[in-house]
Amino acid sequence: MAGNPMQQFSVHKIGPEINIGGVDLSFTNASLFMVISAAIILIFLFVGTKEKKIIPGKVQLIAEMFYTFVAKMISDTAGSKAKPYFPFIFSLFMFVLFCNMVGMLPYSFTVTSHIIVTLIMALFIFIAVTIIGFAKHGFKYLSIFVPSGVPAVLLPLITVIEIISYLSRPVSLSVRLFANMMAGHTMLKVFGGFVISLGLLGGWLPLSFSVALTGLEILVAFLQAYVFAILTCIYLNDALNLHH
Amino acid sequence: MKRYLNFFIALIAIQGDLYAAEAGMPQLDPKYWASQAFWLILVFTVLYFSISKFYLPKIKNNLDDRENRIKDDIEDANKSKELSESKLKEYEKILEEAKKEVIKIQIESKAKLDKDIHEKKEKIEKEIEKELIQAQKEIADLKKNSISDIHNISKEIAANIIENISGDKLNESSIKAAVEEISKKNVGKYL
Repeated sequence: MAGNPMQQFSVHKIGPEINIGGVDLSFTNASLFMVISAAIILIFLFVGTKEKKIIPGKVQLIAEMFYTFVAKMISDTAGSKAKPYFPFIFSLFMFVLFCNMVGMLPYSFTVTSHIIVTLIMALFIFIAVTIIGFAKHGFKYLSIFVPSGVPAVLLPLITVIEIISYLSRPVSLSVRLFANMMAGHTMLKVFGGFVISLGLLGGWLPLSFSVALTGLEILVAFLQAYVFAILTCIYLNDALNLHH
Repeated sequence: MKRYLNFFIALIAIQGDLYAAEAGMPQLDPKYWASQAFWLILVFTVLYFSISKFYLPKIKNNLDDRENRIKDDIEDANKSKELSESKLKEYEKILEEAKKEVIKIQIESKAKLDKDIHEKKEKIEKEIEKELIQAQKEIADLKKNSISDIHNISKEIAANIIENISGDKLNESSIKAAVEEISKKNVGKYL
């Protein structure tokens, strides 16, 4: 585990190999940390909703803060029509946030630092939003590619750009999260390695960097979960309220 | 659109296969992609349903309860405030009425007292006048009597003195005339 900073991202099998229809679906350390993150969320919510107090306890207060935070985020960006999707956005935000945060623990595994995980989430959002858009507006949904108030000369160009930007949504959404998490953790690992290699004499400098970077990475972990959720809200807003 | 996506995924897969080993990015090694996708979908589905069916309604209920409770409390507080304000107004009204009554009673009692004093004063003045008149009369009587008494006494004293000095008895009427003459001269000095 020591040398290679990319070692921390390697996936390995835990327990027996599960092979269904020729596809390897074995339980891995990635799966383990998905389960751990989800379990932490569920335990946290269980404790937070166990006692229905008028004056909330600490955990209940935090759970309610998450609720109001996500509710406000959705109503601010996507309006009241997005209410049915609140549970999904909430779950998504909590899952990404807790995966990122659990990944900050030493010797843990960061689920969201894998492109395949973020890509599947982003693709699901992209496809779902597209379906919602067509279901709500029919073919009028295509008008999302034709912004109003653009000179006729520029319209073909703008439309092409809009189509490309729309199609690149899942890529940008997934790569943003994956790259942020991977880069941050790699950097932490590299500075951690410097601490060891410089020893007692020079190690304090990368160590202080490491401490600062840990703080920064916790911020990034929260921020990326927030960005992921709020972009989902914005895409949803485009699909629900067609006023592009 | 899906074709593009498939193409994109395939592109990443191929490139990942090529670079995974040498570049050392385990993310691009497709060996466990299916596993990760499978477990992600499984875990997230479980998470989603337990959150949406169980926890979110609970939190929402509790938040609504609190909001209603706060609303009720504020309403109660407003009601109490209104009540206390009306009570205060009532109290002030009562106080004002009491003050008015006090002033009224004061004026009334003062008038009554004044009248009483006036009556008594008049009565006493009358009595004093009466007594004064009587006293004056008595004094006048006394004066009259005392003058005649003084005349008699003076006469007797004068007769005695003359008798003692000269040894003669003088005529009573002449003594009387002399005393009266002197007393007429001097009576204004003493009475």
